[in-house]
Amino acid sequence: MIARLSPAERVSAAALGAVALAWMIGAVLRRELFFDPVLFGLGSGAIIAALAIGLVVAFRASGVINFGHGAIATYVTYVYVSLVGTGQYPVPPIPNPLAPIEGIAGIEIVDFPTFISLGDSMGKAPALAIALATAAVLGLVAHFAIFRPLRYAPVLAKVIASVGIMLFLQAAVVLRFGARAKATEPIFPNDPVEILGTRVGQDRLWVLGTVIVITAGLWMLFRYTRFGIATRAGAENERFTTLLGFNADFGAGVSWVMASVLAGLVGILVAPITGVTPNFFTVLLISSLGAALIGRMSSFVIAAAAGLMLGIVDQELFRLELEWDWIPDIGIRRALPFVVIALAMVARGESLPSRGALTVERLPEAYVPRITRGRMVGYGALLAVAFWLTVFAPFQYRAGMQNSMIGVILALSLVVVTGYVGQISLMQMALAGIGAFSVASFGTQAGMPLPVALPLAVACGVGFGLIAAVPSLRTRGASLAIVTLASGLAMGEIFFSRPGWFGLDRGVKTTDPPELFGVEFGPNSDFIFGDGKIPTGGYGLFLLVVGALCCISVMRLRRSRLGEQMLAVRANERAAAAAGVNVAAIKLSAFAISSFFAGLGGALIAFNLGTYGTDTFGIFASLTVLAFAYLGGISTVGGAITAGTLFSEGIGIVVTNEWVIDVGPYTAYVAGFFLIGTAVYNNEGIDGFQRRQFHQLGGWLGRRFGRGPAVSGESTDVEPPVTPDEPAAASGVSGGGAEAGDG
Amino acid sequence: MGDPVLATRSLSVRFGGLVAVDDVSLECRRGRLTGLIGPNGAGKTTFIDAVTGFLPNNSKGSVLLEGEEVFGRSPHVLSHAGLTRTWQTLELFDDITVRSNLDVASRRLTVGSALLDYLRPRQRAARVNEVLDLLNLGDIAERQPRELSQGQRKLVGVGRALVAESSKILLLDEPAAGLDKAETDWFGAQLRHLVDQGYTMVLVDHDMGLVLNVCDYIHMLVFGQLTASGTPDDMRNDPEVIAAYLGHSGVEP
Repeated sequence: MIARLSPAERVSAAALGAVALAWMIGAVLRRELFFDPVLFGLGSGAIIAALAIGLVVAFRASGVINFGHGAIATYVTYVYVSLVGTGQYPVPPIPNPLAPIEGIAGIEIVDFPTFISLGDSMGKAPALAIALATAAVLGLVAHFAIFRPLRYAPVLAKVIASVGIMLFLQAAVVLRFGARAKATEPIFPNDPVEILGTRVGQDRLWVLGTVIVITAGLWMLFRYTRFGIATRAGAENERFTTLLGFNADFGAGVSWVMASVLAGLVGILVAPITGVTPNFFTVLLISSLGAALIGRMSSFVIAAAAGLMLGIVDQELFRLELEWDWIPDIGIRRALPFVVIALAMVARGESLPSRGALTVERLPEAYVPRITRGRMVGYGALLAVAFWLTVFAPFQYRAGMQNSMIGVILALSLVVVTGYVGQISLMQMALAGIGAFSVASFGTQAGMPLPVALPLAVACGVGFGLIAAVPSLRTRGASLAIVTLASGLAMGEIFFSRPGWFGLDRGVKTTDPPELFGVEFGPNSDFIFGDGKIPTGGYGLFLLVVGALCCISVMRLRRSRLGEQMLAVRANERAAAAAGVNVAAIKLSAFAISSFFAGLGGALIAFNLGTYGTDTFGIFASLTVLAFAYLGGISTVGGAITAGTLFSEGIGIVVTNEWVIDVGPYTAYVAGFFLIGTAVYNNEGIDGFQRRQFHQLGGWLGRRFGRGPAVSGESTDVEPPVTPDEPAAASGVSGGGAEAGDG
Repeated sequence: MGDPVLATRSLSVRFGGLVAVDDVSLECRRGRLTGLIGPNGAGKTTFIDAVTGFLPNNSKGSVLLEGEEVFGRSPHVLSHAGLTRTWQTLELFDDITVRSNLDVASRRLTVGSALLDYLRPRQRAARVNEVLDLLNLGDIAERQPRELSQGQRKLVGVGRALVAESSKILLLDEPAAGLDKAETDWFGAQLRHLVDQGYTMVLVDHDMGLVLNVCDYIHMLVFGQLTASGTPDDMRNDPEVIAAYLGHSGVEP
């Protein structure tokens, strides 16, 4: 069926046509300004296009937008570079099973290998074969261990799993090869050639050619072969294709292998031209996501063409910025693609999902916090321990507590928007950055006192959050993930990476310690208690108070009418609208509350660090925060507290380092691993898991000692009644509907 | 008997080249249970979707609620105006209790009331208890929908649509789907009971038996067109109805 263009799409098509015409006229008049960038842009565009078609393959296979695609490319590329350079094949970092014995005995039984030597530096062909075989294995693992079990899972779980892959593989690269850039020998001839009077590197044209050939091949494969058609159908409706005698699962597995090998191939071909760093391809992936989206995640040809166009547009704008200095330097060039992506998604979206677009999506249970005497005692004890750790414990614990408190507040921002309303947000750290940069501008630069500067900074966060939330009213699921990703990137490009009010000041931003009524209580300020080492307890105490208030306010939100409406929207937008819930208003208020916590968290980071740059609030920070929040438990305050404990350099990590094993360099690696595991096998996160264990323990104790079940009698191993209108296989999580025990 | 609570004038729905509802004008009078029947694919659910504001881009025509033009308003506004509905596939809020399901629908949330409720929670509406009692759902009020039987879930769906303080008319979309004969009869009796208490409802179903037994007045849609209207007795003898349902197991003599 030929899709009819919506009015918005017609307008944008007309606008594109007008721009193209203007550009052609310009190219005739000013060749070097308008034509040369095309040739240069094709080089980067080809990489974007190649990654984009890999994304489309993976999406067609299992409906996953694979944020880990770039990390797969990076990992495979590093394997290749290592094989060609030194003949060493990296062993994935796995724990040494003998480590506990070695640790206790104080001896080294085996030298656990980090690399296997395959002789001296290898030829390019065998190295390519081995690296691509590694890619194939990665694809198989991704399919069988991760995305096959997630077939019927909510989009959020799939997004989280792919973010987990990204964190895991990137951390593996850093652990094995270090964070420095690597270069390797060229594969394609790289002497420049002259085309229409412009000299370009030949290798870029080779890459371009390869991409075109692959795109054409994939197009034919999916269009004309039985395999391709069956795979496409299988992603739509697995049950029917299976009934027709196709093995949809096989198709998905093969597609994953293809996507993964394609990612690796792109990386290997491109590495000699650009060099490679651990997050090189993941950064490029963001443009590729845009290209793939323009192709509606289904057309190889459109996705590839869009990727090339993005590369050209970027070069073109770069040239124009150089040529026409009246264009303000506010990061528009870098931000433009993301703005375009967001607008395109919004134009295509609907304010309510259409009939039939609904799937059964079960998010983790959002328990109602129950205030019982036992719980009050528990909270009191928790606060007492936190107080001691924050004020009196040795300095590393105090630092850990400070990081954890901030982590709790950032995780709470996701509990509200993702846990309660089901809207994925990948821009939380960008909003935090707005808070951090504006608190420095208002407080330190403009000299406002803390009670003015901090609320103003948080208000800025809320303001930007609301602007960025407008697209959320018309997009949902994976599209929303992309829109928020693009919004976060646009914010970063426009504000954080350049000088300005919300931006940098000589490469960094500096915030003076917070001061109230003449008392300074920054992490370096004097404080009456503790050993006087930095960080002192005063700032931690402030964070503890703020963090506890935030937790209480979110618990109250869950119990309030607004909280109930949020959960209604999360459960079913259409039904909520029919029940009189203003879905748009609920989403906006959730984003506002979420941005409040994000902005506050960012401002608190600013005080904690004192001096900070752009990376603290980059896209990977946003993904990591989401990862930890999900790992802790995305829909409960307890989950946010757990997330804060696990947060990078948080108290949980400090305690582990001090008492068990130094996990320092392995934090991201282990977090990525557990993130995947949480997404696939237990979507309730650690908090929900604990609740179930506690509940079961309570039930067992009750039966054992004859007090009857602790909570109104159901146990978690009872299947919920499955009704005819609900796909029976719906992810099999969250059984029984057990209510929270005292935990 | 009764003035029209809901009326449509020339309501049409198009999906591309497909006309799913074609120029339908009908009335639903106060205190009556109006039936809307038709074979599968006749456009019954699409009609409800259009009336309740879910198809703003595909529908045209006029929808009058107590004489006031409400066509083009969004679903939540219509709900507050008193036009509520249930769903064939229930669409309950699975994550919150039965009481909260009703609570969400019971009152309009404004910035002020949301803040007030946040500061002083647990001010629950008496209306929710009233509806829970009316439908005998009091015992399961604190349980979650997924723990309930299908029949109970259907009632929760009805309750959620009834509970709005301003409720004027209730559109029930295939409420008997998935129920067996005994459950259907029981459910029909519950509906009749509600109508006798003064509620106005529209029952959309393709189960002729249920509709003929409990409704006061019936309209029939075939391929999006209104082909017959009348009392149950009229409809039993209507050649159009017999033609549309010939051989359909739902027909009772």
